[in-house]
Amino acid sequence: MKTFEEKWTAWVDGQLSGRELLEFEASLPDKAAAEAEKAGARKLGELLKRELSARTLTNEEFFSHQLREKIARLREAPARQAREARSTWWTIPRLLWTGALSLAVFLVFTVLVMREKNPAEESQYLTQILNARVDPVVSPNATVSIFEVKQDRVTVLWTEGLQSLPADYAAK
Amino acid sequence: MGRSPAFLISFIALTIGATHALQGAETVWSGLVIAENVAQPQPMPPELTRIEGSLKKFFGYNQFEVIGQSQKTLKTGQEDWLATSKFFGLHVDARGETEAGYVLNLKLYKEKELLLETDTKLSKRSPLVIKGPQVGGGQLLLVLVVQ
Repeated sequence: MKTFEEKWTAWVDGQLSGRELLEFEASLPDKAAAEAEKAGARKLGELLKRELSARTLTNEEFFSHQLREKIARLREAPARQAREARSTWWTIPRLLWTGALSLAVFLVFTVLVMREKNPAEESQYLTQILNARVDPVVSPNATVSIFEVKQDRVTVLWTEGLQSLPADYAAK
Repeated sequence: MGRSPAFLISFIALTIGATHALQGAETVWSGLVIAENVAQPQPMPPELTRIEGSLKKFFGYNQFEVIGQSQKTLKTGQEDWLATSKFFGLHVDARGETEAGYVLNLKLYKEKELLLETDTKLSKRSPLVIKGPQVGGGQLLLVLVVQ
């Protein structure tokens, strides 16, 4: 069974007929006011139909619209590509610079490490005096010192106060 | 195992062994040198030319004459030898070989009297000079070089 609202909508749209129409109109408390409301609703409907319906494009307008869209797409494509290319950080020049910078850092560290390592290696390859003794009876005031001449990598055991000998001792 | 791999392994082993043997066999030159200042200095002995600058600068003499010397090829690093002049004797006793050189015990004798004794690690790249007693107007030096 239809509700009053459904019957009202159908009546406004002119879809009630026969006995159903007569019964509904008889049930209206103020038929004149209802007729006025029906006329207003119809006017409003016609106005909305007229104003809100999509305007049909003519052929010329349609092709012009298509062309404008295509041109806009074509213009946008290189710009998008440029944006994408710009947004990539690892460009070839930057890669080259990064490689060169890494190499420079590596060389700096290598030089520093080698400099620190060299003194130890040098001392390892210099002759070392482990100990030295002078006969205290023969040379009681003798002393010994050790020098390293790094230029020629020569190690010198320097004695002082050994007993001096006459020139005859230089014989072969 | 096939013949080729066995031959290759033998070849490599022999090569490594020969290389090691060649590296191990080194000659130590030991000399008794009189350093003096003279008007007409003699040319520097060839064994000392490598350290000529250091000798002249350090000791202040212009002539270096070898009065006794010895050349010893070390094979085991345990050899001993003697370099002598008329009055001096330098006894060298090798007591082992390290990566850097040889451990040596050195004794300087004046005739039969021990003047000086020292233990040293003689490097293959670094000569050793010992200042001995003054002899006349000059100086006795003991020099050891791995050649």
